[in-house]
Amino acid sequence: MSDLASLTLTEAADTVRTGQATSMDLLNACWANLEATNGRVNATTWLDREAADTAARAADQAVRDRKPLGRLHGVPMAHKDMYYQAGKLSTCGSALRKNWRPDYTATVIERMAKEGAYVFGALNMAEFAQNPTGHNKTFGDCHNPWNLPYITGGSSSGSGASVAARFNYMALGSDTGGSIRLPASACGVTGIKGTQTRVSRYGVMPLSFSHDNVGPLARSARDCARIMAVIAGHDPMDPTSSAEPVPDYEAALDGDLRGLRIGVPTNVFFDGADQPVIAAIEQALAVLQARGATVTRLKLPVMDAVAAYGSIVSRVEAATIHAQWMRDDPQAYGQHISGRMYPGYAIPAPYYVESLSRRGPILKAFAAEVFAQVDVLVTPTIKTNLPTLNETDIDHGPPGTEKRFMAVSSNCRPFNYLGLPAVSAPCGLDPNGCPIGLQIAGRPFAEARILKAADAFQRDTDWHRRLPPMLTRTGAGA
Amino acid sequence: MDTFLPETEKTIARWFGVTAPNEPGRRLAAELADTIAAFEALRGTMAFEDEPSSFEAALQATKESAT
Repeated sequence: MSDLASLTLTEAADTVRTGQATSMDLLNACWANLEATNGRVNATTWLDREAADTAARAADQAVRDRKPLGRLHGVPMAHKDMYYQAGKLSTCGSALRKNWRPDYTATVIERMAKEGAYVFGALNMAEFAQNPTGHNKTFGDCHNPWNLPYITGGSSSGSGASVAARFNYMALGSDTGGSIRLPASACGVTGIKGTQTRVSRYGVMPLSFSHDNVGPLARSARDCARIMAVIAGHDPMDPTSSAEPVPDYEAALDGDLRGLRIGVPTNVFFDGADQPVIAAIEQALAVLQARGATVTRLKLPVMDAVAAYGSIVSRVEAATIHAQWMRDDPQAYGQHISGRMYPGYAIPAPYYVESLSRRGPILKAFAAEVFAQVDVLVTPTIKTNLPTLNETDIDHGPPGTEKRFMAVSSNCRPFNYLGLPAVSAPCGLDPNGCPIGLQIAGRPFAEARILKAADAFQRDTDWHRRLPPMLTRTGAGA
Repeated sequence: MDTFLPETEKTIARWFGVTAPNEPGRRLAAELADTIAAFEALRGTMAFEDEPSSFEAALQATKESAT
């Protein structure tokens, strides 16, 4: 495979800025890997090479003309197929929107374009962003580049797979119950879900108004820092987005973890964890300690309430959004999609109101106890060895498959209800050769701190630079 | 709990005009009994705040001050 395609996003942007490579070089390098791997990985829903060529030529002309260059100048990208671009297809991974073209553009796409990035295609995803595995009835399941029968994680399945397969430097995903962090973990890339309200959701398909987040998957924590600096911040088009100032996330990445207090939960997050995952997390903790962090084991409070209330909110909101289609055309959905939404209609409104109204007090109780003792929490992103697509296939599997399916996201969902930022970075491989993810979560608006910890970890490890075997056996296409 | 699932299906059909799309849907609807149990277990453990509150305010109240 091309060396250019193996660069991180920030390295790729720097090569264009300094004239070491052109944007067209980057695009060609990505395209070579795409052609070599995508037939097996199935990470895209549509591609537009012609538009990408035009954008790459314009980016290269801007460099030659010595025009001001943005922070993402000349870098090709693709996004989960639920980010709207006026006039472009946006399938949301579903037969129900197979030919749907919105007439407006997502704010995050506009912000990234303003900084010089351009879109070459859209990425496969769970239908309406509603599974943690990457199964898709309409566009076909997305396969893990590290081991094809295994899940990519979802719902941003193509986002994780495309970055891992080195045909995409950066992907936008969405995270309602782990959908950025899970594919980041399963595919061996880095992804961050910001604090609830941190990034505008205007022009992005909703799943759960209360729990939805927009964020990046990329090669490194530094990549994520750069993208977050571009996309975070208040958007008048999304009144729910926070006016909290956006710090210079990249400037905070100095590798110095002296004084950082890491908490490792003794309840919930390691219950039923597989030994290889536990071992990888312990090794990661040792790396972080060597950089100056201290580790405290602690029991997290209010976790029963977080689980009970958190499970209500997104189920009710998804069911509400999809009510008309569930009446008119329920068989258009995969069974596991409609089947999981269906119970949402039986949840009483007082349960939903209780779940929402206690979210703030629960966050305050959690933060008061936990963040008095530690600055960040470290857990596995997925606490078991990665399952296969077959093992988590509710549509074709036996009763009980739901349990295995839901277990995939159990370590991510709490941070959606609590609204806390969390990053996932690769930290090992399980016995099947599938990546293991290190989840680092922090206080509200502590994105800089958790990215700094992940970046420090990546300064001393190379998990984020390792390539899936399909790219290394005999070169791309093996 | 023998009547739980049929009653749940009837309620959903009456209030939303949605019928069970498939067997996974029925199985998961039956598991709402677990949801009820989880809420029962929380009764009395938390009180509503007297003052108006919002989640956004809680994010601000608990946020990172400096890194």
